[in-house]
Amino acid sequence: MDAVLPPRPLRRSRPPRRLPSSKARRDWTAAYVLIAPAAALLGYWFIYPIVETFVLALQRVNLFHFSERTYVGLQNFNQLWHDPAFHHSLYITLIFVVFVVPAQTIMALLLASVLHNVGFGKTFFRTAFFVPYMTSTVAVTTVFMKLFVAGGLLSSLLAAMFRLPNTTWYAEPEYALPFLVIVYVYMYIGLYVVVFVSGLEDIPAELYEAAKVDGADTVQQFRFITVPSLRPFVLFVVVAGLIQAVQIFDQAYVIASSGTILGSPAGATATLVIFIYQQAFRLNDLGYGSAAAVVLLAIVFLGTIVTRRLLPERS
Amino acid sequence: MRRRKRYLVATLKYVFLTAVALIAIGPLLFALYTSFESPVDYPHFVSPLHLTLWNYRYVLDNAPVLRWYGNTLFVTAGVVIGAVVVNTMAGYVLARIPFPGRAISFLVVLAILMVPLQAILIPLYLLVAQLGWLNSYQSLIVPFIANPFLIFLMRQSFSTLPADLEDAAAIDGAGRFRTFLKIAVPLTMSGIGTQALLAGTWTWNSFMIPVTFMTDPNRYMLTVGLNSLQSQFYTLTTVQMAGVVFLAVPVVLMFVVFQRLIVPSFATAGIRG
Repeated sequence: MDAVLPPRPLRRSRPPRRLPSSKARRDWTAAYVLIAPAAALLGYWFIYPIVETFVLALQRVNLFHFSERTYVGLQNFNQLWHDPAFHHSLYITLIFVVFVVPAQTIMALLLASVLHNVGFGKTFFRTAFFVPYMTSTVAVTTVFMKLFVAGGLLSSLLAAMFRLPNTTWYAEPEYALPFLVIVYVYMYIGLYVVVFVSGLEDIPAELYEAAKVDGADTVQQFRFITVPSLRPFVLFVVVAGLIQAVQIFDQAYVIASSGTILGSPAGATATLVIFIYQQAFRLNDLGYGSAAAVVLLAIVFLGTIVTRRLLPERS
Repeated sequence: MRRRKRYLVATLKYVFLTAVALIAIGPLLFALYTSFESPVDYPHFVSPLHLTLWNYRYVLDNAPVLRWYGNTLFVTAGVVIGAVVVNTMAGYVLARIPFPGRAISFLVVLAILMVPLQAILIPLYLLVAQLGWLNSYQSLIVPFIANPFLIFLMRQSFSTLPADLEDAAAIDGAGRFRTFLKIAVPLTMSGIGTQALLAGTWTWNSFMIPVTFMTDPNRYMLTVGLNSLQSQFYTLTTVQMAGVVFLAVPVVLMFVVFQRLIVPSFATAGIRG
């Protein structure tokens, strides 16, 4: 019977695609072996939790009985929609971001442009500016709490300079959020200075020379060379800074951690992540917390898309 | 006249930069100095002759600081060692070995690069709790070994190696694994060093994860321990500052020594990610 059958088509019958050589196949084995640990760990500890966040958001789960899960559909989201505490957390986060992002972008840009064309000591200053970003948020916040206590070094100084009340900033509902903004901006400026300096270094010196030959003065050079060349960097710092600032948690946790309710005083620092944390780990409602986490994911996702869209392709 | 103006501008720039640098490291210097002041002197500035080690002795006697140090060192070492092995291998594959699925793997790494831990903390907690890992060191180590940012960084490092490297090695009869270990890795030591420093700093400074996973004070990381000192020694600012010095100084010193390896990775990775 075999003889009458047409010969089985060989894989080679599709000539355009060459079979991988045995060397390439050996390479594949090596590739899979080398990448397997990272793939397994990322899958288990990163990708699965991302999916799980969306599943939990549709469930009612208690922190202490987490094996009992009941599907409740979109009830958690419906509850978020009507929850004044959630609206408040979005509002607090928005105010925080609105102050942090412009402040850190403008100050970092200013510092970077001064730092960019100094003759010597560039590395020294860059390192000094970067130190706060490398320091633990808990350490920085603890120190700033001492500096901004009633009668403290900085609260007294600011009281003398701007007629602000000499008070314990992080304990006053009106001053707690500005306190967070100060601590946060202090920590992140150095990071964005580094980004801007590398942006300034990318601008070819010939551009400036050509402009000088054409008779452009310093202001014109800044306006017509520096600003347009830096645009992608400014965009990046704004959007990445926004994505980062939306995630504020440690500093707010530290100033409130002596109490059981986070976001104190009086909810003045109840940011979005504090809300998520509070729901999940203080009020034991994992499903509701996850629904709020989905909102955070959506914000971050949108921000990422915007960055990718706006930034020109670079290697 | 022109020259004098230029000197003036340069001087002003340095004055400005020095002032900002002082603001940047000022809080740390404040913590350092205050940690040597006696609590009775505290809000006032005392001469260096009156400095004392009392706060350090007090905090060591009244809180398990050395234990926290040990925990932090152990967890940090665990993450660094694991991260260097796992992310280096993955970065090498993504940069150098063409295999089916490489493009999509890299896209996945890029996609999860931006996902904040804050957003997946709840399922992470559940995974850890289901494994019975709450209050265990591995809960702070294992989940944080594979890191999309570090994989991305290592891929960039390996991409800069010359293209004929593998060919030359293959002609000499070396397989992929030998090429990776004996040729690619030694040429990428600075990238690997950067990775180790970043993983170490992040782990050392991490707060949200250990404060959520570890409730037993003997298992605290330094960050969590220092935060707990705040309520314990509320009135003793100088003692808390000794805690800050314990926590911050090792990382800051390490950063100052190795800043050449650390800073550029933030300068470029950010915008190209």
